[in-house]
Amino acid sequence: MRDILSFRGFVALFLLGIIVAGISSAVGQIPFGQPDSEVGQLYLENGLQDTGAPNLVTSVVAGYRALDTLGEVVVLFVAATGLSAVLATSKRRVERELEDASLVLKTGCRIFFPLILLFGAYLFIHGHLTPGGGFQGGAVIGSAFLLVYLGCSGRRVSADAAGAIESLSGFGFVFLGLLGLLVGGSYFLSNFLPKGDLYELISAGIFPLIYILIGLKVGSEFAGIVDSMIEESK
Amino acid sequence: MSKVKSFFYLFSALFLIWIGFTTTFQPQELGLGLIISLFLSTIFFKTYVGLGFPPLGIKRFLFALIYIIVLFKEIVKANLDVAYRAVHPEVPINPGIVIINTDLEGDVARMVLANSITLTPGTFTLDVIGDHLLIHWINVETTSKEEATELIGKRFEKYLKIIFA
Repeated sequence: MRDILSFRGFVALFLLGIIVAGISSAVGQIPFGQPDSEVGQLYLENGLQDTGAPNLVTSVVAGYRALDTLGEVVVLFVAATGLSAVLATSKRRVERELEDASLVLKTGCRIFFPLILLFGAYLFIHGHLTPGGGFQGGAVIGSAFLLVYLGCSGRRVSADAAGAIESLSGFGFVFLGLLGLLVGGSYFLSNFLPKGDLYELISAGIFPLIYILIGLKVGSEFAGIVDSMIEESK
Repeated sequence: MSKVKSFFYLFSALFLIWIGFTTTFQPQELGLGLIISLFLSTIFFKTYVGLGFPPLGIKRFLFALIYIIVLFKEIVKANLDVAYRAVHPEVPINPGIVIINTDLEGDVARMVLANSITLTPGTFTLDVIGDHLLIHWINVETTSKEEATELIGKRFEKYLKIIFA
């Protein structure tokens, strides 16, 4: 109580009052529920006919804004490259005694690794039908390799294979985009394949292909990150 | 366990999980699931060799179902016990680490036992070394290995012995 009644307390309260007034007057002017942008409404109304994908998020990520997604994939690639560069050049190499994981972790790793890969594949293959998609599926696959890192010591991800899958899927993404430009018409990554029937697995044109490629790319990037961490901890 | 059997186990597990995820019998989904399951099991069946999966059998399957019920019952019982200890004003706990013995052979059987003990609150498997399990116990009733085995391990082990025999 004494602190608040002091001079410093009054100054603090005064400043706090200014901040509260400023924020509330600014927030009060935002028209909530009335979006300025009309593009969101456009996606909502036309997404299903335009793309044939019941998952509207996918029709934005892999359809309307597929070029941005290519950029995001590149960001992830740069991050992975940067991490492996930092880890490879770090001078402090600590000698560590490695001990085998316990039987529970080792056995669990051996049993569940293929099952987690299946779950990741399911997520990125059904990106156009169900919640999920290439990034989520790729992250699940990356977590499977993290389990290998923790549990199955001695089992390694082949860095060459991870790099090859990653490069090939990145190349495939760009190739699909160029093919769309060539076959489908006027713009990069246009959806040139037939849309198929709604809710079928093979529908929505190139979206499943894009998400499969993104899933493989993200998954192999995560696997590469885990591998460079194993390399560093040796 | 032979390679063929490992392959069959992994393949059927993958395919059943795929059907569970997709919850449909559309030919497209089934076909793709078949391809992915075949692909993954061809690569990874080697990791399943030597894990100690039991052969298939109706008796084992029935006992596995019973085991799930028993495990659930034990989890509820242990939850109530730990909750009682937590709200009791004197907090009657006596934590400590005991070693118990297991007759189970095979990695999978031991993993299931260790995880079942961890799943019941109050007991926690710290490590499995050979046929010994290190257990952290919220209320150590006995330090003798035989009695601790009787109290912690045997309630699960008698079923697991039949399932993994």
